Amino acid sequence: MEVTVGDVAMPGDIIKDISTHNTKDKIILGPGLRRDGEVIVASKAGVLRKGQSATYYIDSYQKRYIPNRGENVVGIVTQKVGDIFKVDIAASEQAGLSYMAFEGASKRNRPDVQVGDVVFAKLLVASKDMEPELVCVDSLGKKGKLGVLSSDGMLFTCSFSLVRKILNPECPLFKMLGKEQAYDLAVGMNGRVWIKARSVHETIAVANAILAAEYTALSEMNSLCNRIAKMLLQQR
Amino acid sequence: MEGTEIVEDEGILRPMKCELNHLTMPDGSAMFMQGDTAVVAGIYGPVEARVQKMMYDKASIEVVYTPIKGPPCVDDRMREQIIKETCEAALIATLHPGTAICINVQELQDSGGLLACTVNAACLALINSGLSMKFMIGAVNCMIEKDSQKLILDPDTTQIQEAKATFTFIFDSSKKDLVSCQTTGRFTEKEFLYSFDKCKEASQCVFQFFRSIVTKYATRI
Amino acid sequence: MRRNLPRSKYQKGIIHPIKYLRDYLERDIRPDGRQFLRVRPMSVNVRSITQADSSSIFKIGNTTVVCGIKAELAEPKVETPDCGYIIPNVELPPLCSPKFRPGPPSDQAQISSKIVETVFLNSGVLDPRNLCISKNKLVWVLYCDLICIDYDGSVMDACVGALMAALKTLTLPEVEHNPDTGAIIVHPSKRLSVPLKGAPVCTTFALFEDQLLIPDPTEEEESLALARLSLVIDGEELCGVYKAGGIPISQEVLMKSLSQSKKRAELVRKLIDTAISST
Repeated sequence: MEVTVGDVAMPGDIIKDISTHNTKDKIILGPGLRRDGEVIVASKAGVLRKGQSATYYIDSYQKRYIPNRGENVVGIVTQKVGDIFKVDIAASEQAGLSYMAFEGASKRNRPDVQVGDVVFAKLLVASKDMEPELVCVDSLGKKGKLGVLSSDGMLFTCSFSLVRKILNPECPLFKMLGKEQAYDLAVGMNGRVWIKARSVHETIAVANAILAAEYTALSEMNSLCNRIAKMLLQQR
Repeated sequence: MEGTEIVEDEGILRPMKCELNHLTMPDGSAMFMQGDTAVVAGIYGPVEARVQKMMYDKASIEVVYTPIKGPPCVDDRMREQIIKETCEAALIATLHPGTAICINVQELQDSGGLLACTVNAACLALINSGLSMKFMIGAVNCMIEKDSQKLILDPDTTQIQEAKATFTFIFDSSKKDLVSCQTTGRFTEKEFLYSFDKCKEASQCVFQFFRSIVTKYATRI
Repeated sequence: MRRNLPRSKYQKGIIHPIKYLRDYLERDIRPDGRQFLRVRPMSVNVRSITQADSSSIFKIGNTTVVCGIKAELAEPKVETPDCGYIIPNVELPPLCSPKFRPGPPSDQAQISSKIVETVFLNSGVLDPRNLCISKNKLVWVLYCDLICIDYDGSVMDACVGALMAALKTLTLPEVEHNPDTGAIIVHPSKRLSVPLKGAPVCTTFALFEDQLLIPDPTEEEESLALARLSLVIDGEELCGVYKAGGIPISQEVLMKSLSQSKKRAELVRKLIDTAISST
């Protein structure tokens, strides 16, 4: 079976659009695609999409996180082993987080991280053969948005397709929600979302809005946000 | 991607019905019905492997088949083995070294063609789990009737009682070659090759059904 | 120092087993010097265990399987009141290969037992009604113990071969059963052989890259093979085609394996017959 962009591809399907004959053109194969000799073959089921320039990927459904380098994830510290923290990121293996990988950390000045804390961190190492490694600083040693998330927020999980949808810059959800409520939010590519708003009511309302977004078209986001805002006003 | 849609397939095989993502806990799951034979499959993976079963170069695949009644017996061991080896052929296990992929299958009802139904359910659950696969696998069951020497595709329990021989063929979706095969009874070479060809044709219906299910779910979001 | 090390140790494929085998296959030969389609020499010995009702030793190359059949009297199963039954049991003890550990039968041993049983039942070589002495009351049960002594590939072939050789030499004592009193009189001196129909022969194939098919693989080839296929042939008919996973096999190669296994079946059948007539 041969498929083109926009079609549903199944594992083993040959992607017709991508030709490997012209070696000068650069093609980027995203998730769900692999090269088998001369042809490009799908390895996951989903809609074949084309991104900017010649980037192709398959928009598939997945629940289990497989670490990828450079992705931001929300993890839970489960253990302190010597100089590193073990962090559960919902992958097959726990990730390591060195205590030196925090802003301003030194041998003397250890960061204050306890077992049970929720951290927002970037994957520095994620290869199939090695334990994933997290950092809470960027390459300049600044923490940016990364670090320990405060314990009065709420953590919930959602599907990866929802994460990809709400993190898409074209998705108006966060902007619209932000008009009415103030909230802190950390979305991990591992399907975990941490939120903190002014009150428990608002926190739950925002969480519900995010979960409801999975089955809401981008054009209907506005009415969804209005509904949430109205509901909160009534409760006040 | 809530699972409620039911798709029916009219054709030479018994009608197939499937519900993807039927269970909440597994990473991929499927409830699959072929006629009255029904099976639920759930997949966890890649998860941390047990030390004894860990392989440094690829994921170890574990299959647990649970019959509808009684503890698993030797027949079920054999079924597990076929599911395991077949799924191993389809999965790209080298992408997740040192991990385990657990495939759990629960029989709900057996009205003939149970092995084919289990393999198809496992394949749908694998598709739902988003694990990388080389190709899909589709199983077709058929039998040769004792008196009339006629070939019956996808027979049910009453038809199977009249069988001289039964075949379960599992094909891959890319080259349509034979991945696994199991037979019962005595048969001639001609009968075998004829059944092989017919089941190969019928496997297209299975793959088409898989595609229609995924399309239904993919266009929903 | 290094030069003194036997080179064969490296050549035996300890460091790069896959490449080692592939180097051979590229030169159109197998590591044990066989051509692709040649099978290993086989030998059969029957009636070697006097304690059993019948026995055989089947060797394919190094692979050795011993079969002993012990017949016992029992009540028939309720669903089949006029049928006796056989209970095959394949044992893969730690002696035969370092792959196996002591303890309860491994999955592989259980599956092997199951395959032997299905081959026996599917082939219809022995009508279970011939094992009946008195309907609803008394039948023969054949405990067929298959013990692998040396595990060097194609063990299923050896198991099926050993079982068939043993069945062919099986004799059962005449039994008198009085249905009213339930009294059983066994005449150990009057032994009758069991009528058999045909003789199924199992042939295992290993499949490598580019659909390369080789029959009768050794343990080394079997463990590196990309797929395995077993065909059971009885005369002009087939009574089992087993393939569990591995790389897909094309129809042409399947046909090739069919014709190969037919030739082999003829060979094994003759071998068993000569072994029996010569003792």
